[in-house]
Amino acid sequence: MKTNILIILKKYIPTGFLVLLLMGCERELGDLKPVTFPDTPEVFIDGFSAGLNYAAFGGSVPTAFDVDTKETYNNSKASMRFDVPNAGDPRGAYAGGVFFTEAGRNLSGYTALTFWAKASESAVLDLVGFGNDLGASKYQATISGLQVSTNWKKYYIPLPNSSVLTAERGMFFYSTGPVDGKGYSFWIDEVKFENLGTIAHPQFTIFNGEDKVETTFIGVTQQISGLTAIYNLPDGVNQSLNAATAYFTFTSSNKSIATVDESGEVIVVGGPGSAEITAMVGDAAVLGSLTLQSIGNFQQAPLPVHAADDVISIFSNAYTNVPVNYYNGYWAPYQTTTSADFEINGDQILQYIDFNFVGIEFSSPTVDATAMTHLHLDIYIPNTLAADAQLKIELVNEGAASSATYIANIPALQSKRWVGLDLPFSEFTGLNSTDKLMQIIFVNENNMISGFYADNIYFYSNGTPPPPGGEPTVAASTPTHPAANVISVFSDAYTPIPGTNLNPDWAQATVVTTVPIQGNNTLKYAGLNYQGIELGASQNVSSMGFLHLDFWTANSTTLNVFLISPGPVETGYSLTVPTSGWTSIDIPLSSFAPVNLSDVIQLKFDGNGDIYLDNIYFRKN
Amino acid sequence: MNKINKFRRILIQSILLMVMVIFWGCERDNFQKLDERNWQLTWSDEFNGTAGQLPDAAKWTFDLGTGQNGWGNSELQSYTNNPANISLDDKGNLVITAIREGNFTSARIKTQGLFAQKYGRFEARIKTPYGPGLWPAFWMLGENIETTPWPQCGEIDIMELRGQEPHIIHGTIHGPGYSGGNPISKAYALTNSRFDTDFHIFAIEWDADKIDFFVDDYLYQRIEKSDVPGQWVYDQPFFILLNVAVGGNYVGFPTTQTPFPQKMIIDYVRVYQEVN
Repeated sequence: MKTNILIILKKYIPTGFLVLLLMGCERELGDLKPVTFPDTPEVFIDGFSAGLNYAAFGGSVPTAFDVDTKETYNNSKASMRFDVPNAGDPRGAYAGGVFFTEAGRNLSGYTALTFWAKASESAVLDLVGFGNDLGASKYQATISGLQVSTNWKKYYIPLPNSSVLTAERGMFFYSTGPVDGKGYSFWIDEVKFENLGTIAHPQFTIFNGEDKVETTFIGVTQQISGLTAIYNLPDGVNQSLNAATAYFTFTSSNKSIATVDESGEVIVVGGPGSAEITAMVGDAAVLGSLTLQSIGNFQQAPLPVHAADDVISIFSNAYTNVPVNYYNGYWAPYQTTTSADFEINGDQILQYIDFNFVGIEFSSPTVDATAMTHLHLDIYIPNTLAADAQLKIELVNEGAASSATYIANIPALQSKRWVGLDLPFSEFTGLNSTDKLMQIIFVNENNMISGFYADNIYFYSNGTPPPPGGEPTVAASTPTHPAANVISVFSDAYTPIPGTNLNPDWAQATVVTTVPIQGNNTLKYAGLNYQGIELGASQNVSSMGFLHLDFWTANSTTLNVFLISPGPVETGYSLTVPTSGWTSIDIPLSSFAPVNLSDVIQLKFDGNGDIYLDNIYFRKN
Repeated sequence: MNKINKFRRILIQSILLMVMVIFWGCERDNFQKLDERNWQLTWSDEFNGTAGQLPDAAKWTFDLGTGQNGWGNSELQSYTNNPANISLDDKGNLVITAIREGNFTSARIKTQGLFAQKYGRFEARIKTPYGPGLWPAFWMLGENIETTPWPQCGEIDIMELRGQEPHIIHGTIHGPGYSGGNPISKAYALTNSRFDTDFHIFAIEWDADKIDFFVDDYLYQRIEKSDVPGQWVYDQPFFILLNVAVGGNYVGFPTTQTPFPQKMIIDYVRVYQEVN
């Protein structure tokens, strides 16, 4: 018979094809090629396929898996049975393990790992997947929460970009725990790789498909997250998998601003400028991106001004911190917040990403803050705020029935800059005692804040009054520049820019009042930390030469004045303090470069102490 | 021009394939011996036009809204003539898009009052939508439906698909005594492939004695006049409809897992009449 077939084949099939067929049957030494791995599709049909091994995960019940000959799919000879333990089982807390081969297999011709499964009761398997080889598990792909029922049903684990799977050892793995504390059994059968044209419409994502935009600094690093592969299964329903980084190739649009390596770690290396991080899986585009708008060198949080004796510090490089259990408790199951803390120029900064809530715990020992009066923290929200954000801050005192809360309003304009919060204990709702403080919790109260940096988190006392600030006894001198040469911000001598807001809510601690000194209106900043002035309209002061101001302070040790143009672009100028009497200064506008002098929108002061200001205006030479 | 003589072509092209089929033991008979026909193109829409443009108003009119009782089938969608639901794509296709935005919107167009024909070949090249609860259709109704209510007017479903079975299409006729849940119908399934991943050609060839149903020129169903348990109502002009329904008695309802939006992409609709 064989001869006959060959004769017929010879008649109808091109000779080359025939040679190929024959080569498939026999092999000579001269035909040897570089090693390739077998493409065996079977994993478990009625028993272990060639080379297959099993290993249980640490902490799981080692005997959870067994081969079952009674309950099988389609009355085949055997299936795999898995017994999930009850809660508290001394042998282990869950069932989990890996089916792997010693030698690799070439799976590049397949599109999915498929199997049939049923359970003794309806249950959700926490994790099932492919590509765990008990080693690097480079090409792991995992389904979370696979629903199984009491009837046999076919399940699919699509292989993302199987062209890379030329030497894969991880065949199948699972991990799942009790349902409501109770164990159960499930069966898996007919585990094999298939080349299915009925799995369609692959989509891949990074950051779960979101196009993220973040303001950042040189030196900030972060990991690309939310790597998924989504396939439409033969029943028209989408199946999502968590896919390993190695399936993806990442690209930065501007390597002088940000780099990304094959593990998905992004590092900001330059600025100002922006770079977009994107990805591909094979030739397929990936949904989601990260646009990093680097403003260059890191902008440090303002240095704390409180005396160390008046401070109990939780997180600051300016003070000695008390023992802290953690700065992120990763509280399961609802917390999404992750940490990506970083250090710039020796200053450590907390960074919270994917923020919903996060807690800092300092319970061993707890903190006696009865001598303190305030909580201070500096936060920086790197993203544009679409509207005012509410950050809820909770303090937990050991033994309290519930946490004490304070909701801080962060105006939309206050993103992309450091905001100092000084929160009196007296304004925390429900704070009955501060003798055993143990946690600070941040909550994204109105879901406006996707993440933030935090620094200088400490309790302090303002019980010791600052040195007496005094008050000027005479008014600042009345200016003499012709009104035509002046654009005035604050002065009785000139008409100010209409609509100017002398006390915008930038969440500052400064108390702003206008006080008459010898009948002359004078601007007073009491307890300055920082203070803004929003001009009624953008000003073109490029034809002006100087910023003029008169200032008086008896107790300030630091005082800076800033001009701000959109961006924001801001530059500070240091003023000599304290003063003896009024100081009158004309600051050349060139000192404020690179602020756009044709588009000045705000002024800002920062520093400390009590400040009196007058005659703030721009003037020509 | 516009005459095709495809069965001879298929015959020639099939000779080598035949040899392969025999030797490789494939089960399906890829070759069908059918009577040779000469088809003359009588009506077509190739859907050439700019992106966002509605289909040619000289060829198609819209069914709008939710009809009575979800167009008689408890369908969920509201039909619109919004370009988001129906428009040309600048690549020679018409795209009907079912959208979930709280409620479902989609589109349904027809040639009623503009074109109808008795007998001939009716074909369309289509890539279907998918997902549980999606119900795309390329179908026909008797032109006399205004005076002779359904099912007496007759209905010929050239292609219907249930989105939860994206590898199966159905060809069906509804007439008096065999309509609704009890029509004459047959399914055609792809092996290891789906109707939503590539274009396929769906066609009927209809004459006084029978209606033949084709997928990619493969005849999978022949309904002869004698097969019909009730009256044969297919000796009058029929008009063409294209739509994507969401939910309803035929397909069941979409689930939270059904991906939206969903698109039916139609490359062309062509109608031929036989010439001797």
